[in-house]
Amino acid sequence: MISLLQTINLNKSFGGLHITNNVNLTVETGEIHCLIGPNGAGKSTLFRLLLGEYAPSSGKILYQGQEITRLKPFQRVQRGISVKFQVPGIFKGLTVRQNLEIALQSRWKGKELQEEAQRLRTFLHLEGNAEERAGNLSHGQQQWLEIGMAMSLKPRLLLLDEPTAGMSPEETQVTGEMIMELNQRGVSILAVEHDMDFVRQVAHRVTVLHFGKIFAQGTIDEVMANEEVAQIYLGEPAYA
Amino acid sequence: MTNKKMTMPLVQCLSRVNGPQTLGRGLGFWIPFAAVLVIAFVFPMFSDDYTTGNVAYFFTWLFMAAGLCLMWGYSGTLSFGQTAFFGIGGYAYGILTINFGADNGITLYALGASILFGAIAAALLGYFLFYGRINGVFLGIVTLAVSILLERFMAQTAGPQWHIGQARLNGFNGMNGMPALTIPWPGGDIVLLAGPGFYYVVLCLLLFVYFGIRILVNSRWGNVLVAIRENPERAEMLGYDVRKFQLGAFVIGSALASLSGVLYTCWGQYITPSSMSLTSAALPIVWVAIGGRSDITASLVGAFLTLILFQTLTVNGAQYALIIMGVLLLVNVLTAPEGVVLQLLKVRFKIGRRK
Amino acid sequence: MDIGNALFGFLYQIGDAAAFLVLASTGLAVVFGMMGVINMAHGEFIMFGAYGTAMAVRAGLPLPAAIILGSLAAGVIGMIVERLVICRLYGRPLDTIVATWGISLIFSQGILILLGSSFPGVSTPFGSFTVGTYSYSWYRLVLMAAALLLLFALWFLVNRTQFGILARATIQVPHMAEALGVKTRTIYSLTFGLGAALAGLTGGLYAPTMTMVPTMGSTFILEAFVTVVVGGADIFIGTAPAAGVLGITKALFTSWQGQLTGQIALLVAVILVIRLLPKGLSGWMLKERT
Repeated sequence: MISLLQTINLNKSFGGLHITNNVNLTVETGEIHCLIGPNGAGKSTLFRLLLGEYAPSSGKILYQGQEITRLKPFQRVQRGISVKFQVPGIFKGLTVRQNLEIALQSRWKGKELQEEAQRLRTFLHLEGNAEERAGNLSHGQQQWLEIGMAMSLKPRLLLLDEPTAGMSPEETQVTGEMIMELNQRGVSILAVEHDMDFVRQVAHRVTVLHFGKIFAQGTIDEVMANEEVAQIYLGEPAYA
Repeated sequence: MTNKKMTMPLVQCLSRVNGPQTLGRGLGFWIPFAAVLVIAFVFPMFSDDYTTGNVAYFFTWLFMAAGLCLMWGYSGTLSFGQTAFFGIGGYAYGILTINFGADNGITLYALGASILFGAIAAALLGYFLFYGRINGVFLGIVTLAVSILLERFMAQTAGPQWHIGQARLNGFNGMNGMPALTIPWPGGDIVLLAGPGFYYVVLCLLLFVYFGIRILVNSRWGNVLVAIRENPERAEMLGYDVRKFQLGAFVIGSALASLSGVLYTCWGQYITPSSMSLTSAALPIVWVAIGGRSDITASLVGAFLTLILFQTLTVNGAQYALIIMGVLLLVNVLTAPEGVVLQLLKVRFKIGRRK
Repeated sequence: MDIGNALFGFLYQIGDAAAFLVLASTGLAVVFGMMGVINMAHGEFIMFGAYGTAMAVRAGLPLPAAIILGSLAAGVIGMIVERLVICRLYGRPLDTIVATWGISLIFSQGILILLGSSFPGVSTPFGSFTVGTYSYSWYRLVLMAAALLLLFALWFLVNRTQFGILARATIQVPHMAEALGVKTRTIYSLTFGLGAALAGLTGGLYAPTMTMVPTMGSTFILEAFVTVVVGGADIFIGTAPAAGVLGITKALFTSWQGQLTGQIALLVAVILVIRLLPKGLSGWMLKERT
């Protein structure tokens, strides 16, 4: 079985700073995989490497067995990788309806587009907000809208950068359910997260990143039992 | 069955005249619009040739304004190069018609060829800019540099060695004497000098462009364009090749500037390098900023009104015209950055409360 | 000896062109590099400096004092503009361009109305000297020296004085600077004023070599913009080497085919450099470093 996503000895340096350090990460088809680790561990950089915003200093990225290291971001998106960044990347000046339509129109048209938009709005708990300016939504709603937009590309792999950042516990719960629902529908997910309850709720496998290197990989219980990981977290100021 | 197949996309196309990216839908907008249109069509019958020609003169500039609105207002690309393409269009028309004459509809071909020439130049420059990831302020400076480069180059082409075929470039004084638009007609070609004939042709072109842009910006292409304006990174992450869309808007917008250039040259039978000067480059920005760059109707109405204002000022107190333009621009940016006309239209049509 | 003369001539031309670019662009570079503001009225501040200098000379002041006065006048006007307009437009670069363009129109047309289409100028001091068969102006050598001196003075100001340190802090992390009690509003005003004063200084320095017309700023403005844009945001590792590179290009083409070709070559070079290095020279150099 070929992994859905695989990085091979991925490295990224900015001048003297070696941010991503020989990372060999795999995401299997159908799993929800969480990337955890202290701040500054290089998670965002890794994401941007996977997306194609940064070019690696060395190493390869394989998607469905094919090398995508040289592809531009929009090309990777067209192949089925989709992203939701930490800061809501929605079109704040446009309405919710417009946001979804712009995301959907690359794969849908006409009547089906409208129907899918309707379905999405319901799924995202945003039915009543179709004509509202996206910038006026609450933070949690903006995050959901963006997940919705990322979903409308019918991706195989969804990259989520801190999907529950800034959310209340209720919103976090809803987000977790959304993610698991998406996973049921066949989307594999790689998520960067800090909220351990959330990770426990959704993750099949977990990878710990520290100083740009992979420290541990496995189920959340395996990883939490790992002594080195405990040290990383105990050595840092109190972590959730 | 075939009739239905052909009319379906046409109907779909026409339905896009209304949409999220343009103000005004429904009878509340289109009835006043129709009224204005009727006035525009009967105007020459109630007016003398000179005034009609003058209004037509204003119309010729509106294409450039429309182009800038498309690029700046819808796509987020502030190009200072409109006057460069204006000049390219005008000079191209001059060169072609001076060399090949006005018979057999050559002037009409020259019109088309000049716009095409402008579009190709825009494609080259645009490719250079967008595929080189040059945007924002830097793009503004480069397009400004191109305009001024052309102006300085053309300004020093005095002297008989500067000619293309029979057309002398004539340096600072510019090219003149080229034929006006001439429509071949059995029994005597129709020469469209600055008067009612020219007026109607330009008005029809204007309507075509206006509706064309409305349909374009409300289409799927337009949706992406607006998304790029709002958040280019996000648009890229949705799988769109941002550079292609920006280039498309740039080519269309600049080609419209070339159209303005050609029509201006047809109107007055002259074109000079000063159309591409630093001051000239500011003017389209003024019109579109005051009108409201994010909507085509607001832009055109604002441009038209500002042009009338400018001419009135120039005629009645020449020195003050530019100062007042400057003040208007400043006040506009500080108090109504979205555009004065746009603000008014929004209030009138209650945008944002679609029910 | 002929080669020596030709070489001198060539070096003179390069120095002249580079000095022009440095002097024309430092004011703009300060404002753009430190505040991200593109000031389309830059040419008008140059004009204010020139006019101020000319007026001061006519009132009897010696040239150096007149130049300083002209520069100060431009600086003060700059600070007023910043307080009234620019400060409302931070974070809106395209709007700033539009607004300053409006200001530029107001200033140039305003002076046209107030003082007429030309103004009595200042004559070039020091005369000329000969090398080989060509004569050169001493004053332009003075200008070259002034350009170098200016760069040094700026470097000193930015890196060694309190103002410089405060300014850099404010511009990089405004809320931190405020939290530390720095009056950020004042810093912004002073920085913009500095940019305007530098423009005024350029106007004053070049006043003896030009005719005084209200639109005289336009001679400088395009070259200033392109130098700043090619240089990128940092004055010392950007604007200065950019002036050097572009100066050489311009001098080369001018001596080959004349003034206009030199100008065109300059603009073409700019377009090429931007294409290869979208963040300008300093952006490229900083990338290498980090």
